[in-house]
Amino acid sequence: MMWRNYQLDNTVLKATEAIKLWQTEKGIVEVSKDTLAILIKLGVQRRGYIFHGHGRLLLDTIVETDEGAIGKPVEKEVNEPFLMMEDTEKVQPHLNPASKEDLTRMGYENLQEFVAKAEDLFDRVFRGRVHSHRGFDESDGLIFAFQNEANRLDILIGKGSKMVYKGVGIVFVSNEDKVVLKSPGEVVCSNGGKSIIIKKGRSVIVRK
Amino acid sequence: MVKIKLSEELKEEMKKLREEIENLKEQLKDATERKLRRGRGIYIDIGNRVHDYIEDAMEGVAEGIHGELEKSIFIGPRGVRIFRKEEPYEKEDEVGISFPRVAEVMSALGQEHRLRILNELMSGGRYINELQEKLSEITASTLSSHLKVLEESGLVVQEKVRGRYLITMPGRTAYKMARRVTRFLERRNQE
Repeated sequence: MMWRNYQLDNTVLKATEAIKLWQTEKGIVEVSKDTLAILIKLGVQRRGYIFHGHGRLLLDTIVETDEGAIGKPVEKEVNEPFLMMEDTEKVQPHLNPASKEDLTRMGYENLQEFVAKAEDLFDRVFRGRVHSHRGFDESDGLIFAFQNEANRLDILIGKGSKMVYKGVGIVFVSNEDKVVLKSPGEVVCSNGGKSIIIKKGRSVIVRK
Repeated sequence: MVKIKLSEELKEEMKKLREEIENLKEQLKDATERKLRRGRGIYIDIGNRVHDYIEDAMEGVAEGIHGELEKSIFIGPRGVRIFRKEEPYEKEDEVGISFPRVAEVMSALGQEHRLRILNELMSGGRYINELQEKLSEITASTLSSHLKVLEESGLVVQEKVRGRYLITMPGRTAYKMARRVTRFLERRNQE
């Protein structure tokens, strides 16, 4: 099972209502009604989507320590195409085939234009990658890839309450009360009540 | 008479020197024998001077390390804190902290209700209804506007998903410092 076996469908869908694609205590990814979607398939199996419309990403990339909270939440409007790999069962019922008007509303002249844009993102995420030999299944949780303002990819991986986020200048890893945050000028590791805070050119604080 | 006295003194001195040379020869002989027994380098006992020197030197080093540690590390009941070396004092505008920013932080602290909110958040994150419950003397709209001021000044951060308000690291430090400064001024006034 290889990433290269994944393919994009040739049918464009649209959200019939707002959909919460992922929600935990620390994050939400949602898309609004009329967002376009194109299916990612592995043979006949549905494995994910590429969405384009109005989406929102909220992440509480904050670490609570005895010294106070460190980090800021991420709040982004997602208006560029983004990819989601997951078990599609809960999303599929909220999608219907899109019309030409739906495509036009999102700025596409025809189906091929959207498919080309979706393929471009798909290729950037998976193809040509060293680790692309590995398969994806439900046990991997969800993978999101968002295009950021620096025209690179922000990656979000969620599995149950666990989460990994890599954005511009930030890496946030959270597994219940174990958290690691790397942001410009500081690194914070927290495990329950214990924490280590390393600030560039300033101080190291160890709390137990 | 003087010559005779000098020659006697010289003789006495030479005698002492000979004895000392003999003594040293004995020591050297002993040392060589010990070396042969051990099969290692020559051992010369030079008394306690080396030990004294090492002790003195180590005491100096230890004092130096202790002094540096005292300046940069605080070991308290709740953990270890390592500080960077003190920077020489610079004017505020030279270290990149603008007076408007100082005023913003001080202004955020300079309101009783906001101090009460910070005090409440010192013990952990709170939802707005929890804050409202604890600070019932503040109306809901006033509470929201105070929280906004605290957020804008970076003393408080709100989670976007759960919505709790958390006191930030600078917020905690600013709150503690405000209390310490006030306590210090109160004491000064009493003196």
